[in-house]
Amino acid sequence: MSISATSHKIGEPVRRREDQRLLTGKGRFSDDVNLPNQVYAAMLRSPHPHARIRAIDSGKALAMPGVIAVFSGSDFIADGMQPIPYNQFTLHPAEMQLPNSDGTPAFTAPCYSIAIDKARYAGEIIAIVIAKTVNLAKDGAEAIEVDYEVLPAVTGTIAAADSKAPRLWDDARSNVCVDADVGAKDATAAAFARAAHVATLTTWIQRVTGVPMEPRAAVGEYDAATQRYTLHAGSGGAVRLKKDLALIFDTPVEKVRVRMDDVGGNFGTRGMIYPEFALVLWAARRVGLPVKWTCDRSEAFLSDFQGRDLAVTAELALDKEGTFLAMRGSNIGNAGGHTGSYTPLQKGVEIMSSLYRMPCANFRARAVVSNTTPTRPYRSSGRPEVMFVMERLIDIAAREFGFDRIELRRRNLLKSSELPYTNPFGMLYDSGDYHAAMDSALKLGDWAGFAGRRADTKVRGKLRGIGAANYVDTATGAPRERAEITVHPDGNVDLVLGIISNGQGHETSFAQLVHEWLGVPLDSVRLITGDTDIVSVGGGTHSGRGMRMGSVVIWNSANEIIAKGKRIAARLMECDPSVIRFADGRFAIENDGQAKSIFEIAAAAEQLKDLPDDLRGPLAAFSDESFNEASFPYGCHVCEVEIDPTLGTLEIIKYSAVDDVGRAVNPMIIHGQVHGGIVQGVGQALMEQCYYDPASGQPLTGSFMDYAMPRADNFPFFDTEISEVPCTTHPLGMRPAGEGGTTPALGVVINAVVDALAEYGVTHIEMPATPERIWRAIHGKSN
Amino acid sequence: MYDFAYLKPASLSDAANQLASPDSKLLAGGMSLIPSLKLRLNRYATLVDLGALADLKGIRREGDALVIGAMTPHAEVAASDEVLTVLPALASLAEGIGDPLVRNRGTLGGSIANADPAADYPAAVVGLGASVITNRRTITADDFFKGVFETALQPDEIITAVRFPIPKRAAYAKYRQPASRFALVGVFAVQSANGVRVAVTGAAPSVFRLAAAEAALIKRFAVAALDGITLDTEGLNSDIHASAEYRAHAVVEMTKRAVAAALK
Repeated sequence: MSISATSHKIGEPVRRREDQRLLTGKGRFSDDVNLPNQVYAAMLRSPHPHARIRAIDSGKALAMPGVIAVFSGSDFIADGMQPIPYNQFTLHPAEMQLPNSDGTPAFTAPCYSIAIDKARYAGEIIAIVIAKTVNLAKDGAEAIEVDYEVLPAVTGTIAAADSKAPRLWDDARSNVCVDADVGAKDATAAAFARAAHVATLTTWIQRVTGVPMEPRAAVGEYDAATQRYTLHAGSGGAVRLKKDLALIFDTPVEKVRVRMDDVGGNFGTRGMIYPEFALVLWAARRVGLPVKWTCDRSEAFLSDFQGRDLAVTAELALDKEGTFLAMRGSNIGNAGGHTGSYTPLQKGVEIMSSLYRMPCANFRARAVVSNTTPTRPYRSSGRPEVMFVMERLIDIAAREFGFDRIELRRRNLLKSSELPYTNPFGMLYDSGDYHAAMDSALKLGDWAGFAGRRADTKVRGKLRGIGAANYVDTATGAPRERAEITVHPDGNVDLVLGIISNGQGHETSFAQLVHEWLGVPLDSVRLITGDTDIVSVGGGTHSGRGMRMGSVVIWNSANEIIAKGKRIAARLMECDPSVIRFADGRFAIENDGQAKSIFEIAAAAEQLKDLPDDLRGPLAAFSDESFNEASFPYGCHVCEVEIDPTLGTLEIIKYSAVDDVGRAVNPMIIHGQVHGGIVQGVGQALMEQCYYDPASGQPLTGSFMDYAMPRADNFPFFDTEISEVPCTTHPLGMRPAGEGGTTPALGVVINAVVDALAEYGVTHIEMPATPERIWRAIHGKSN
Repeated sequence: MYDFAYLKPASLSDAANQLASPDSKLLAGGMSLIPSLKLRLNRYATLVDLGALADLKGIRREGDALVIGAMTPHAEVAASDEVLTVLPALASLAEGIGDPLVRNRGTLGGSIANADPAADYPAAVVGLGASVITNRRTITADDFFKGVFETALQPDEIITAVRFPIPKRAAYAKYRQPASRFALVGVFAVQSANGVRVAVTGAAPSVFRLAAAEAALIKRFAVAALDGITLDTEGLNSDIHASAEYRAHAVVEMTKRAVAAALK
């Protein structure tokens, strides 16, 4: 991997322009926002995973020095505040929908920003205290007396689906909110009936949390004169947040403004609206002062949305040569304490078959609610889970029925000539070269030389294993995006876009596009994304949509600027627009010495009085597009581990990744995305888990003392390679790059671990594959 | 964090007097205390900061022992030529505590007074048969640690130093808990003129000596002497990071590693 850029053009590993600012403490994050006369909010959170709120007495709290106000759910309702407008499913036209098999609608219940009748998870907001300092607000919260009727709780995914489980909503038939049956039931049953082999797996892809480096924070202000709300809070996107808040406040969208600058991590769990955002604005209106709230890390472990938590039973049917005939099974996703999102369930089950040739499939897909922190899409929503299942099933089948793991994959992996291909759930894979990606990854990981390395390891009394995993990733997201480009005569170029950088390096990669297409210096490009008074449209940062959609609307805008510029240049240089060529930021008459820079043209556009109406004024253009096709990034990872059997401790010796991005804008940034993605995936495979005590329902991982995050010394240097097979559904050939690092990482690591343990008869190990789990597997102890 | 009064006495006797007032607590490096205050897990009327007492800091050789002041930070122990020369096991233990910030602030006295069941220093204090010197008396290591966050110290008693006898050989083997990187199991194994001592931290509510291993190692200080030794799970910690069964196994394994390292 080369890290020295020779230019700022597309394809060059340009150093990130934002890093100087971010690494020297000059970033402006939500908690850096401080407004005159601001006061502070503390949230009183439920200590019980499930409890009815009988009464709240805030008398003592209100009598405390510095406490300004205490609000509860009844105040919220009395003020006419509305529930949070969640989209439980992704409605993107390229996604498979999950209708209940009995024809009933999915169960959803209104979720307010503050508990109204019941607390449905430990950490749900019961009351909000406003005080002159954070400390006084916390003192006030401790003085509130809540009369709870503690109710039995259920946290486990399978347990919650039981009809006898404690019920979160009295008016629901059970905790099962979605119960869909997808694929072809009869054809799948017939295929299983004639199968020579059936591999099976029952597993739980455990619950983890996103852990952004910057904890959440929000500052709310309300201007009584204009009746306008302004929220300062980091998120995945500003425009959607504005619309959501307008619905909660039942006010026109123009009465809400959202602002954000730097955002320290999103990963999906931070991408959407949070209850506290509405509460600080509401409190600001009620007390007439700006209200600030900053999340403690311990509060984040309780109240940040969590991810994964999918219970799966799956079967893969093969004929005697190893050709896949069908797959079937059941997925149960745990939505947590509110009916906020069933998207991970939906986005997973639709690609259960990954990028293998699968004639038919049939899955039952259920979503349940439970007394746990609500879940949301987390880096690659639903897909790492199902890729884990598929890649485990293949390894299980290979070992059980005597196939070579790689040959079994090769036999069933779709060939380029078979694309576009409709998978058994109706998802249309557009293009790619899956075999080339796998072959490259196997070469990069030196699969062929593994036997020798294993022998060396054995001499040292240790166990070595290797695994491979292919993946495909469905990228859709909010379909609409808009770019506005304005070229200023002073040498600056403004790029307005609805895509927030949460650390992805947009100030560099988007600027590279503008530099390439308009020939302006990289540093002239100012990216404006986080103020809804400027940014009118845009879907935010999720589902691999930033560069995929951003590039197209920037490209369209740049082309229009060039077209306008040619006409203005023709006017200035008194020639026909058809003889003007644009290159390197200059409009030149063909075969003539005369030329004008794009900034001279911008000045002329503002100065010349005799231009046609559509050319007069700032040299600007916009593009507003909807993207109704999905993109399918893919790749293959190879992982090699060494295990010390005495304690079951594990070391990752080698990790190799080949990820196809269609066309790489900034390979350095992409490698960085892959590295971070791998670490998040391996974290889940080996150490991370949000634990809930099964008896009490209490969360047990409340800090970094107990929630195990992967660290640099847990990893070797990664070997990452970028593949560039142009995407046929993207005008510039691009595929997303942000999620591929994570998607196959769960499966590839566990495949390597099981390979290392195979000599002990181990066929599967659950995540996180902790040293104790590995030790127990080696010694045949129950896990 | 709740409000508290902050005192920084200039003498040990002032510190003891101030500590006598109700709800007061000594502040050494603050690496456990300050986070617990920030999380509102603890509340004190007064914090008595020992930071101004220069006498409580420093490392010196006294005959066959190293005497380390209670306020000596871990980083100083880790980098001390004296410690590295005569008791390298202690230097390496100190080097493995927390991160650089913790090692530069956290102190020996603070660590053992706090008596966290997963802290490293208690294993060294008990393993080496050290003496805890306070403003009133000397407490032997075996009498010092009483339970989870519990010691023999009286409410107004202040540790001034710890006297570590210099052993013939010693080593500390630490199995880190993956999240906190405290000891999931830590074993300090020592061979000295007085015999063999093996102290275990992290595995139980308080540091303890592994009698079976000591008995075996007295006969022969070798890894092989530990073959067949097992530990009952009764009384061992069991939590989301490891079951008692795994900890019992890890104690024996880490003891072997400590002995192997001591013999190197």
